[in-house]
Amino acid sequence: MISATLLKQTIRENFALWLVIALVQALLLVIMGLTVPNVAMTALTYYQLLPSILIGIYVIIIGNNLLSQQVDRGTMAYVLSTPIRRTSVSATQMVFFVGSLLLMFVLGAAAHIFAMNFSEAGITTEDVELILKLNIGLFTLALAFSGIVFCASSIFNLSKHTIAVGGGLVAAFLLLPIVAMFSEEFNWIKDLSIASLYDPMLLATGAEGFVWKFVVLAAIGIAAYGVGTVVFARRDLPL
Amino acid sequence: MTKDFKGGRGIFDIDLSVHEGEIFGLVGINGSGKTTMIRHLMGFLRPQHGRCQIMRRDCWQQAARLKNAIGYIPGEISFPEVGSGIDFFKLQAAYREARNMKRAEKLCERFNLDASANLRRMSKGMKQKTAIVTAFMSDPKILLLDEGTTGLDPLMQKVFTDLVKEERHRGKTVFMSSHMFDELENSCDRVAFLKNGHLIDIVELSQLRGNERVKEYKLGFANNQDFRSFLEHRFKVVARHDEHCQATIDIPDEDINELFRVLAVRNVSYITQKPQTLESYFKEKYNASEVAWS
Repeated sequence: MISATLLKQTIRENFALWLVIALVQALLLVIMGLTVPNVAMTALTYYQLLPSILIGIYVIIIGNNLLSQQVDRGTMAYVLSTPIRRTSVSATQMVFFVGSLLLMFVLGAAAHIFAMNFSEAGITTEDVELILKLNIGLFTLALAFSGIVFCASSIFNLSKHTIAVGGGLVAAFLLLPIVAMFSEEFNWIKDLSIASLYDPMLLATGAEGFVWKFVVLAAIGIAAYGVGTVVFARRDLPL
Repeated sequence: MTKDFKGGRGIFDIDLSVHEGEIFGLVGINGSGKTTMIRHLMGFLRPQHGRCQIMRRDCWQQAARLKNAIGYIPGEISFPEVGSGIDFFKLQAAYREARNMKRAEKLCERFNLDASANLRRMSKGMKQKTAIVTAFMSDPKILLLDEGTTGLDPLMQKVFTDLVKEERHRGKTVFMSSHMFDELENSCDRVAFLKNGHLIDIVELSQLRGNERVKEYKLGFANNQDFRSFLEHRFKVVARHDEHCQATIDIPDEDINELFRVLAVRNVSYITQKPQTLESYFKEKYNASEVAWS
């Protein structure tokens, strides 16, 4: 179903950006793990904002690279002039996209846990649990964002349209909660954003009721990937 | 089949079949629908009405499977980021699960292509050669060549034409487009003329190459008197230059002896037959065609 050759080529083309973003996150988490004794504190200072922005950047650039840009530039003609089905092309790109994000947060969580082991305060089971919840939450958010950009990338022939629509949506979801912070009056605005479903503050309090939010985020992602794959297989390509 | 892109663009009511083992040419100006037709055969576009098949398989539904038998030169060439031409050949071979690069090497030699150069630094001609090698290297049964000689110098165009003919002799079927008549004239068995997305005519080149019934002769006379008296005979004059005592006439084969009788008693300085070219043939059709911008 997926093409190993295409996967290798996709990794080759996109590895550099993945490495930069994954390393920045891991490095910051190592610093946090060594210096901040309390994971709940790290949840508020680090997990609240920076990772979602890094995810945003990563999914917009990579999501566009995976399909739209290749159609736009015409290089997709060379993939599709071989006996690879279009559904295999999108499935392969999807596997890379989801896999690279998963790996990013596995690496992040590992770095955080690893660093805390060496901190003065040490690490408790509750700490590990919270770190895992935060990173799983981030991954589901990334799944939703990447799905949205992937779907746009499947639909549009031109990169600029993918970035405008897919990237625009992701940017809007990221910015709405920030706008909401300006005033109590505008607090409701943040509920318009799916990014609010990932709430580190809530996770830090140990409250229940986060599971369904993660499920919704993952479902949005899966649905968007599904729509993208179907559209890409059925539409005209100007190659 | 029909594919209407609106605004008069697209291809309309195309009804065409290409025989196994022939070289079929597609000619027309830019925007006449050549690339659109080839994109349908590649399964990149789906026809709105009708369908197209290769080896009795639907080009849209069985696109991936058909690629085992197809070599393709895209009209617009854009390579992925892989480094050198050789890396690119290897990538394309890997997609086809092929490993043997012998044929690619031979083709590079033939086209005098240094494939170890970086793709991004290649000239237009080198890129085109790389695309040609890619299309032919898997030794496909069917070749879909969209403007295959773009950017090649005349010497390399000849190498390309020879290669295409050679493949036909090896039993391959070639479907190629060009906006240059002479390129197709030299290689094709049949040529279809496309205008504004409509198929206007299909010509068998064997019928064209000197086999036309009405031929065109250019005649020059030594003096004005003979020239004048020649014109009194009722030949169909298509062009005349009085100052050079020169006339061009169209004459059916059955009247050729009549011509020689008339010329025998006159002082002729030269006579040449202008073979009908694909271009001149289509130019007549083009003007006569009823197809207009819709």
